[in-house]
Amino acid sequence: MKLIKSIVRPNKVDEVKDALAKLNIAGMTVTEVRGHGKQKGHTAIYRGKEYNVSLLPKMEIEVVVADAVADDVVKAIVQAARTGEIGDGRVFVLPVLESYKIRTGEKEV
Amino acid sequence: MTGSEAAGPPVTVNILDGARTELRADIARGTGGRASLERYSDRIDALLRRLVTEAPRSSVPVALVATGGYGRRHLCLHSDVDLLVLFGGPIAQQEEAFLRALLHPLWDAGLVVGQQVRELSEFSALERDNPEFLLALVDARLVAGARELFDRFHSAFHGASTHAFILESLYTLADERHATFNGTLYQLEPDVKEAPGALRDVAATRTIAQLTDPAILRKGPTDPARFEDAEDFLLRVRSALHAITSRNQNTLDHEWQERIADLMGYPGSEPRQRVERLMSDYFRHARVVDRAFRWARRTAPVPVGPNLGRSRDGIGFLDPVQAARMPSSWLGAFTAAVAEDTGVSEDALSLMQQHVDRYRADDFFPAAAERAALLRFLRPASGLYDRLSEMHDCGLLGRMFPEFQAISWRVVRDFYHKYTVDEHTLLTIRNLERLSSTEVPERVRYRNVLGDLASPELVVLALLLHDVGKWRDDNHEIESERMAEGVLSRLHLAGDARETVLFLIRHHLKMSLVAFRRDTEDPEIVRQFASFIGTESRLQMLCLMTWADVQAVSPDTLTPWKEELLWRLYVDTYNHLTQRYGDERIDPSQNGFHDLVPGLPPDLSKEELSQFLEGLPRRYLQLFNAETIHRHVRLARDLRADDVHVSLEAGDGGVWTLAVVTRDRPALFSSICGVLSSFGMNILRGHAFTSLGGLVLDVFQFTDDERFLELNADGRARVTQVLEDAVAGRVDVVGRLKGRERGILQPKNAARFPPVVRSDNNASSRYTILDIVATNVVGLLYRISRVIAAHGCDVELVLIATEGEKAIDVFHLTTGGAQLSEAAQVGLTADLQRTLEETR
Repeated sequence: MKLIKSIVRPNKVDEVKDALAKLNIAGMTVTEVRGHGKQKGHTAIYRGKEYNVSLLPKMEIEVVVADAVADDVVKAIVQAARTGEIGDGRVFVLPVLESYKIRTGEKEV
Repeated sequence: MTGSEAAGPPVTVNILDGARTELRADIARGTGGRASLERYSDRIDALLRRLVTEAPRSSVPVALVATGGYGRRHLCLHSDVDLLVLFGGPIAQQEEAFLRALLHPLWDAGLVVGQQVRELSEFSALERDNPEFLLALVDARLVAGARELFDRFHSAFHGASTHAFILESLYTLADERHATFNGTLYQLEPDVKEAPGALRDVAATRTIAQLTDPAILRKGPTDPARFEDAEDFLLRVRSALHAITSRNQNTLDHEWQERIADLMGYPGSEPRQRVERLMSDYFRHARVVDRAFRWARRTAPVPVGPNLGRSRDGIGFLDPVQAARMPSSWLGAFTAAVAEDTGVSEDALSLMQQHVDRYRADDFFPAAAERAALLRFLRPASGLYDRLSEMHDCGLLGRMFPEFQAISWRVVRDFYHKYTVDEHTLLTIRNLERLSSTEVPERVRYRNVLGDLASPELVVLALLLHDVGKWRDDNHEIESERMAEGVLSRLHLAGDARETVLFLIRHHLKMSLVAFRRDTEDPEIVRQFASFIGTESRLQMLCLMTWADVQAVSPDTLTPWKEELLWRLYVDTYNHLTQRYGDERIDPSQNGFHDLVPGLPPDLSKEELSQFLEGLPRRYLQLFNAETIHRHVRLARDLRADDVHVSLEAGDGGVWTLAVVTRDRPALFSSICGVLSSFGMNILRGHAFTSLGGLVLDVFQFTDDERFLELNADGRARVTQVLEDAVAGRVDVVGRLKGRERGILQPKNAARFPPVVRSDNNASSRYTILDIVATNVVGLLYRISRVIAAHGCDVELVLIATEGEKAIDVFHLTTGGAQLSEAAQVGLTADLQRTLEETR
């Protein structure tokens, strides 16, 4: 099993969700996050006053999938979340050692 | 006549002697209390009526009014007779003759008269320097003369503010009076008139009840019958003192105590025993009065508005019967509660709940004054949510706005909302209310936007109605807008205010959709949103509405993350609206233009409209309504090369609007600003437009701080003339400003903000954008525009705004038809910075 953690633009969440649904990935966790990568934020000016927007609002989407479909999921996320501009985000793939269903206590393989 | 002596003593003396003899006999029997004093007062009344009948007629209506103790019919044997002689018009010779005929016989008979002579008109303003007189007027009673005049005096005198002032004075005077007795009623030689618990406190207690809640004495710890007994006792003692001393003696000295005790028939073999019995009776009664006075003072509602009083329970109706019949007065209770930072009393809420179903929506705001009061009430202020909740709970809100009743306790099941629709709605208003005073650092930016709104009540009204369409299951924003139209019609809200509220309701979901679901880093998204929203003021309102609405969904819905996204969309859109609009010009083939054509008045042709609008920024169509655009088109009619057409109109709240149409020429903007400054006008808002064809339309809104237009009948004509002359170059603006220069350059109110000057060639493809934020002082725009002109720059477009004491001005500049070079920008901004710093 793999944990696929992606940081995407806030307005791309719905498209990513739709893409994952097509792959029959049902469960996911979505979190509002702030951060920056290469896109370091910018200086905005409002009524003569400058303020720095260093941490940009992003969405983090986490899904756990079987090893066999991990590559397809990553491709789907990248396709759905891409605009081609700086600030499109990142996808991380992490190994998952064990997973349990809390309701039944059953271990998933 | 041979003089009255020839026929024996004058009639006045006879009548007075008769009345006094009768009262003395009562006193000798120990019964000189209330009943005797009332009879004595009646005798004096009869005497005065006779004198009035016999006096030469006054040329204006006159009323003889008893005031103070005499007004209460408690006139003692040697008390002053307090009188108000009230005339219905100016006092001239005939009136003076009347006064002499009235007063001289009284003086001759040895009566001490405390007379006040007034014209009715003098009661139009409160006589604040004579609180004792105002207090005495509370007991005013017509003795003789014109009833109608007395009634007019009565209604002029009895107003909420007068009552409030009288009560305040009464408390102050009582405190001062008690202090002279060391604050205790247990005096060995008490003053039966002035001491704590004595007759003046009896009168004060009755005054408090009369001016606030007549039933207050029945609710207190003192049995009203015992209070009456105490008064009668004190009056008997005072009568006895007057009779024994033959003067206006009110202190129960040791010297007199024995004789008074005897006269009042106290038993006891020793004089000391009889005196002790008298004095213990005195203290018993004085204590009753003292307790009643303190109770009344503690619990009496303080008058805070028509038929409204503030007590420990909150704001209540002084006269519930009247209140039940006047639903238009109910909102006043909630308005007063907000102003007084308290609630509406349970009694008042129950009363409204009990009677609310008898009335229709219009009954609560039947006239313009009440409708305006409702809008004022809706301005975000501490306590607004609590008051609206009270109105909702007692059924008033749903009756005032039946549309709102449709969502009462309405449950809509979704994953986000945590409250019923009505409560969600009220919570949005609470959010705005709390925002108005927040100090949370991340929210101060939103608070400043709120502080910037000219009509924040429109946002509250829009919030109140934004979800009323949720009684249906789908497309609630369209249904809400439809329902709101009815509300706004009943409120007689028209024009821009109406359009704005409907726009906000219809589109209340739009900004959160764009902020949270669209890529706001894409300039095209921002451009589209800016074009949709049109003006900064609508943007500000929708931004605050979105902020308040999202936050009211649940405690966790408006995360700092969402607040940040919303703010960024706001800033980008704001900057787009103020800095990029010059690139988007009206093209007569576009929608905005076509929308105007069907409503054209007969005197305007499509060609004329098209000629005027072509090449103006598209923003123009969003800033002004059709009616104003028509006025501008007419103003531009028959404009020849050197013509200047000017219109100057007064608006609400002392704000004037000036519109100038002319052909572009050097230093035009600077001339106009200079002329306005030379008349001391304070420019609040404005727009300067130059069409691509060189037509200039400048619109300024300003206040006339020196009241030039108000004080000079020909003021408008003079301002207009000077403007025309200055623009045409016939008047030297610099010369006109010479006398004022010092005042302008050294403003009285010291600047609090360091000036900010910024220029930028990126925001627009055609113009250099110059952004200036500085302290708003008279002449600021003139100083700025003079520097710009001196640098050879052309002012193409200007946007003038003020935010509290800050002026925010955005200029679109060119030089030789192109953007300014880097070097020119540096030179200009440095020069401007220096000029603004000098005047800080």
